Amino acid sequence: MAILEGRNLRKTYRLSRNNTVEALKGVEISIDKGEMVAIMGPSGSGKSTLMHILGLLHAPDPVSGNSLSDGPAPELRLAGENVAALSDNARTRIRARRMGFVFQDFNLVPTLTALENVLLACDYAGIKGKVAKDAAVEALGLVGLADRGGHKPSELSGGEQQRVAIARALVNKPEIILADEPTGNLDSDRSAEVLALFRQFNREHGQTIVLVTHDSEVGEACDRVIKMRDGRIRDAGQRAGTPVMAIPAVAVPA
Amino acid sequence: MRLLRDLGRRKLRSTLTITGIMIGIMALVVFGSMANKIDALVKGGSEYYKDKVTVSAKGGTMGLGGVLSTRMVDQVETLDGVDVALASTMMLLSDDASTVSMGVPPMIVGSIAGSDKGRETFKLNYSSGRALTPQDEGSNVVVVGSDLSKQLKAKLGGTVTLRGVPFQVVGILEPTLTAPDNEAMVPLAAAQQLFVKTLPNLVADKLNVNEIATGLVVYPKPGVDPQKVADEITAAVAGVTPMTGKDFDKQIGSATSVLNAILIGIGLISLLVGGLSVVNTMAMSVAERTREIGIKRAIGASRWRIRREIVVESSVIGLIGGLLGLALGFFITAMGNDAGRDAGTVLFDLTFGTALSSVAFATILGAIAGFIPAWHASRLDPVTALRYE
Ligand SMILES: Nc1ncnc2c1ncn2[C@@H]1O[C@H](COP(=O)(O)OP(=O)(O)O)[C@@H](O)[C@H]1O
Ligand SMILES: [Mg+2]
Repeated sequence: MAILEGRNLRKTYRLSRNNTVEALKGVEISIDKGEMVAIMGPSGSGKSTLMHILGLLHAPDPVSGNSLSDGPAPELRLAGENVAALSDNARTRIRARRMGFVFQDFNLVPTLTALENVLLACDYAGIKGKVAKDAAVEALGLVGLADRGGHKPSELSGGEQQRVAIARALVNKPEIILADEPTGNLDSDRSAEVLALFRQFNREHGQTIVLVTHDSEVGEACDRVIKMRDGRIRDAGQRAGTPVMAIPAVAVPA
Repeated sequence: MRLLRDLGRRKLRSTLTITGIMIGIMALVVFGSMANKIDALVKGGSEYYKDKVTVSAKGGTMGLGGVLSTRMVDQVETLDGVDVALASTMMLLSDDASTVSMGVPPMIVGSIAGSDKGRETFKLNYSSGRALTPQDEGSNVVVVGSDLSKQLKAKLGGTVTLRGVPFQVVGILEPTLTAPDNEAMVPLAAAQQLFVKTLPNLVADKLNVNEIATGLVVYPKPGVDPQKVADEITAAVAGVTPMTGKDFDKQIGSATSVLNAILIGIGLISLLVGGLSVVNTMAMSVAERTREIGIKRAIGASRWRIRREIVVESSVIGLIGGLLGLALGFFITAMGNDAGRDAGTVLFDLTFGTALSSVAFATILGAIAGFIPAWHASRLDPVTALRYE
């Protein structure tokens, strides 16, 4: 069953009055519940842009009626519900409660300790007090940083910071984790650790994981690799270890 | 806690901003206390003068000026609207001009105790000792006002020197916040003796000392308009100027309300400058934290949360500045009053209301100053903010 489904996703960045960049040129994508998917492609191919749209950080371009690239109206379904045109507040709530984010440069709040960073995600999801504290401590334990809760990001190594970020993404047990080049700033041993963590959560909790990556080793460790180029999906990939018969279910009319 | 740590991170800037607010609030507290004191003085005066007519020699006011005669009492008491009249003799405690500054200078006030025949409604309370009695006439005894007692270091049973003459202290008043705080109340005869010495010999020789008065206090019959009594006095007695409570309010009240407005205005302007520096600090701190705001928005902080965070932070800056300003203002007014007391001038009255409203004002100002930066922060696009270096 698809947890994330997008159709006609376009994104145009307006740099100035008549200088625009078409970062996404009509993307169709479907990601099944419980899948661990890699999105790969050359730099500038629109991977991050797609992830921001899937993560409700950006809205896809609406139909404006005056652009050459105008196509049918965009559609974005999260567990079947169309979320393409929700208000900022509604999208924020979904991000807080149903999604977890991991970024290339960790993006921890520098003034907060590791534990406080994780607690922030609980807070935004409306979880407070002892329940939140317990969950945060548990999440830090899961990423192997039980004894680092009181440290500031500046007192942690890159690999540790990224694990704090993963703990923060996981703490609310979201349905989907979106990670944009999570291993991009880590050496290969740290990358392997981080990847192993994602794999573990995917196996143990059935969390859907979408990884944007440059690294073909990361891609190989995923269930499926979606290849992008020039704002389009070139290859939607095949889910490893799943019958080929499942594929037509996610195929969409061209 | 987290918030205080955040403020600590930007130590220098926060300190400067808090100092700005602090100085503004200090100015507001100091000037506000001054305005309070003036207000209390005027209210007290207004209260005292409202039910009576005070008669001075022509050109004088409030029972001060040229010399009248106690014989005028009988003349005035024959008038239609007059219930009771009494004579008083007043003079400055000291002719030294340097002690005369703002407020009411220390005065010696002499009248025969009980000569108001129970008509005086302005209540005096005694922190120690007793009131003067008619039997005190002829002796040099004194009841000292609260502020003046500190200046003169008066002790019950001890002596104080008034214009070179020793007086025994028989009573000390509680603070009234108005004129009596700076008065030495003596029997009429004693005041007449002191007064005559202030006059040039040529003038003094022609006067009958025990008939000297500088003013009359006239109580109208119940229900009679003091203005009507004042008109009667003007018509019947030559060379005097009567003053009613309304005259007092007109002369003094309007002048002081302008002064008070100026004082409070100065305080508010200094606060406004402090407020602008909060806007600046918060705008810079928002710019500095663009990326952090992006992170928070990305992981699920609503716009409202971001706004709240910034407004709370700027309110805390305002609150801290307000409390420090209040402390500083408290210190300055207390020092000023201590110093002023020796010179006979108590300038400040720092009331609870002034203290509370100054701190509340600082906090609200901080919150308002945070609104614009907060609004700006909450409108940032999370992805753009995340990329911000
Ligand atoms: N905020 C932005 N403003 C303008 N152009 C952008 C912005 N974000 C991305 N782009 C452009 O959109 C294209 C796709 O970018 P991106 O989605 O970041 O690709 P990738 O993650 O695959 O490297 C690039 O040409 C990039 O320069
Ligand atoms: Mg990218």
